[in-house]
Amino acid sequence: MGKLRLWVYYFKHAFASVLGNRLIYLISTGTISISLLLFGAFVLLSVNFSNWVQSWEKSLSMSVYLKDGLDEPKKDKIKEAIQKLPGSEIKGFISKEKALRDLSGTLGSQAGLLEGLTKNPLPASYEVVFRNENLGREDLRKIKDALENVEGVDEVQYSEQWMEQIEGMVYMTRIFGFIVGGLLCVAVLFIVTNTIKLAIYSRRDEIEIYKLVGATDWFVKTPLLIEGAMQGILGAVVALVILFAAYSLFTFRTIQLFGLPVMDVVFLNHGHLALILFLGLVLGLLGSFVAIGRFFRF
Amino acid sequence: MIQLFHVSKYFGANAALKDVSARIRKGEFVFVTGPSGAGKTTLLRLMFGAEPPTEGQILINGINLSRVNGSRLDLLRRKIGFVFQDFKLLNRRTVFQNVALASEVTGEKWTTTRKKTHQLLRAVGLATKEQAYPLELSGGEQQRVAIARAMINDPLILLADEPTGNLDPEITRDIMILFRSINLRGTTVIIATHNKELLRNTDQRIIFLHEGTIHE
Repeated sequence: MGKLRLWVYYFKHAFASVLGNRLIYLISTGTISISLLLFGAFVLLSVNFSNWVQSWEKSLSMSVYLKDGLDEPKKDKIKEAIQKLPGSEIKGFISKEKALRDLSGTLGSQAGLLEGLTKNPLPASYEVVFRNENLGREDLRKIKDALENVEGVDEVQYSEQWMEQIEGMVYMTRIFGFIVGGLLCVAVLFIVTNTIKLAIYSRRDEIEIYKLVGATDWFVKTPLLIEGAMQGILGAVVALVILFAAYSLFTFRTIQLFGLPVMDVVFLNHGHLALILFLGLVLGLLGSFVAIGRFFRF
Repeated sequence: MIQLFHVSKYFGANAALKDVSARIRKGEFVFVTGPSGAGKTTLLRLMFGAEPPTEGQILINGINLSRVNGSRLDLLRRKIGFVFQDFKLLNRRTVFQNVALASEVTGEKWTTTRKKTHQLLRAVGLATKEQAYPLELSGGEQQRVAIARAMINDPLILLADEPTGNLDPEITRDIMILFRSINLRGTTVIIATHNKELLRNTDQRIIFLHEGTIHE
């Protein structure tokens, strides 16, 4: 039998075997699907959480408070100093009067507290954002120090504590991702291996007969490996279809959380899709390989 | 053809065969008999290479079974047909597919496999049942499928373990005629049986096993 004809034979028998043992293969493919669905859902959540954190980092804002009684040329100099900073964008100038009005609006029914003030204590400020810059905490501290040395600047504030929390969250997400992702991979491998092992075990008589009529080990193993690969890929495709359906049904395309910047909820990109398909293939093959390895020790 | 030198087989502390030596020539027709538990099946399984002997050497057509393993053993098995007492047929495959399987695993061309399968099924009287499934056949018919499968690779040796164990006398006679015709074509035939009727009036060689030792 030529090599090509042999492979045609292997594939033909793998397909015939899957069709002939539909229930067993339905169960094992379903198990692979559920396992990869869990893994895919985890990747989807991780990707979106990571995007959310990154969008926060990218929309970092800074308030540059001015001393009272500055004339226009001095204000322009401060403005120029801010505009020279890489990635900076002045979102607006908040005068002392507007700052007071905003505070009054924020206090709402308790705005009466401000009526007793004889003098507006709030400083005017420039609101600055830094976009598309990978600014670390140290960079922001340097910017703050530089701006505070500009004449007429009283104080510079940014959400330093929030930055620390975000960085902490990113770090924790990565650690958590590695642990949970790793555990999921091991669990999926364990489940898939055992499911395929059961499927192969249910056909032990057939394998024994093949061996008794003089089939070589690889003649028996190859169709079983092909069946494993087919189950893995099919399981991954089903998992992705279910994940996409769930994503489309239950996810709002955009969410707004506590008035923070609008965030897009994205689906897995091509790289992630390919990764899950590849994972399905590898799991199916590896599961079959381990199961066959154990099974052939008779 | 088959030579056994001081062969013993132990399962734990129990000896299934003890210091068995024998020589079976090419083209012989041999019965291996003895009471249940005498070691008949073990002897056939050792000749087939299904299990290694604990002690001693087995030579098949000059090849020492202790020195072959893996794919070489698989290739050697293709020269030995084995008919099992429980037939060992694939119930989800047709009669034709069951017989063709033993040829397919050797890498034989499909046209040759198909031709040989048709010929053999005609020879064992199952030409009209090619597309039937084993469970649709009688015990005697299933046995004939197993014999056809064992014969498809033109084996040098045909081993049969209790081939008439579950069959009525009339079918037993038909099966034995089939074995004789296979033997007449030059194949060495070894049949393990405890059926005394088969041994009565036979002029064939009989190897008698008792508690794992040979009494010829």
